[in-house]
Amino acid sequence: MLTLDEVCLDYGAFRALDRLSLAAAEGALVVLLGANGAGKSSIFRAVSGLHRLAAGRISLGGRDLAGVSPAGVVRAGLVHCPEGRMLFPAMTVEKNVRLGAYVHRRDRAGVKRGLDEVMAMFPVLAEKRHQPAGSLSGGQQQMVALGRALMGRPKVLLLDEPSLGLAPLVVRQMFDAVAAVNRRGTTVLLAEQNAHAALGIASHAYVVEGGRIVLDGPPDALRNDDRVRRAYLGG
Amino acid sequence: MRAAARGRDVLFFQQVLNGLTIGCVYALVALGLTLVYGILRIPNFAHGALYTVGAYAAFALIGRLGANFWLALAGAAAVSAGLAVLSERLVFARLRAAPPLHDMIAAIALLLFFEAGVQAVFGAGFFRIAPLFPQILRFAGLTAPAQRILIVGAAFALMAGLHLFLDRTWTGATIVASAQNRTGAALVGIDADRVSMLTFAISGALAAVAAVLFAPIALLSPAMGELVITKAFVIIILGGMGSVAGAIAGGLVIGFAESFGAFYVSTDFKDIIAFGLLTLILSVRPQGLFGRIAR
Repeated sequence: MLTLDEVCLDYGAFRALDRLSLAAAEGALVVLLGANGAGKSSIFRAVSGLHRLAAGRISLGGRDLAGVSPAGVVRAGLVHCPEGRMLFPAMTVEKNVRLGAYVHRRDRAGVKRGLDEVMAMFPVLAEKRHQPAGSLSGGQQQMVALGRALMGRPKVLLLDEPSLGLAPLVVRQMFDAVAAVNRRGTTVLLAEQNAHAALGIASHAYVVEGGRIVLDGPPDALRNDDRVRRAYLGG
Repeated sequence: MRAAARGRDVLFFQQVLNGLTIGCVYALVALGLTLVYGILRIPNFAHGALYTVGAYAAFALIGRLGANFWLALAGAAAVSAGLAVLSERLVFARLRAAPPLHDMIAAIALLLFFEAGVQAVFGAGFFRIAPLFPQILRFAGLTAPAQRILIVGAAFALMAGLHLFLDRTWTGATIVASAQNRTGAALVGIDADRVSMLTFAISGALAAVAAVLFAPIALLSPAMGELVITKAFVIIILGGMGSVAGAIAGGLVIGFAESFGAFYVSTDFKDIIAFGLLTLILSVRPQGLFGRIAR
């Protein structure tokens, strides 16, 4: 569904991704593990068109994404739910979520249906739908971000650190939601530092270090790998 | 005694109306400036030239082509909107990766370029556009020039329209969303270039409408936009850079302050009042009177 082939990405003189290749099959839930600054967010920025590649190829369902704008990538069916959430803080919760459907805006009934689904998925958002998104707690803002991303009807969803800074109970709720989205057929790429929880729902995992893939395999194999245990699973 | 009190009331009403008129003109100009700043972080000094060009475009449409006032108003709005979009495409879009200072220098250059253009075509002299309604309205012993009522009515209608557009339409939401989080807007599929062009077009049209409405009261000259744009900057600093409500409120505050200041203090001080208020308010509230739409 999504493949990265020998992708390089530079921030000025700094090479953030170095001939990195990975693939996510249709319907997969692929987890990217790695420390801060390993390159997980750079992979997402490259795929969603926020940052131009220095070299390499990215293709989505056979279509080359080179030079496609972020808006074009969304229209092609790939939605990036970024680290830091990037909400519209002064807009209401409902407007934030609704704007996620911007590329489908002409399908009014579909937008309404999507909004109802998101509100059913996260009932707390329904209660706060008329409050500014910036006034919500971190966990609730993450729900808004995920809801907004789902409104874009992604075939492939990129989720960057959805558990960052959240209370354990909310993390659990977030992972349940991600697993549910994946079960309904959406291909998911999930970047996480919370390796335990992420490997629990993954179908395949990659370990990113220094802008390269250093290890990959099914979650069970990674869980039993010494390096992964030491670095990400706390011994 | 009673006649004197009555006279004071009439004069007071006169100042309210004057303040409201000039405040509306300032608010329309400041709205465009604050929208562009809110989304692109460009302090568009050339906005004052869009005001000037709008007035001259209407003057030419009426004087040389015999257009009526409304047609000239629409034509002027289109001309200024077009020039605004062109300056965005040809100048500001190319400077997006450059340091912010370059935007500022380019904006000042555009201001001088447009002013010189107006002077080359129309000369340095003063012109006047005849008011659409030269009548004086009388009501309950008060008098009001109809043109001033037209300015206030049209300005408030435009502001209400702009508010509905930003608040209720998908296209308007793309502007507000881009002002609050550019990356977030790109990631939901909003085309940043389209939003930039649209915002510049709206700002140009608003400046032109303000200029044409006000032209029958003021005079046309190539430098007519300079004082207006300087005050519009004062207004958006007061109102919070990027705040729509702040631009409207700030415009009215400055309008009233000037009108009452000129009457009760001295006309000589009229143009200093805005800058005095700026100093005073910023020393108390450095963030301006309102927060901005972006955070």
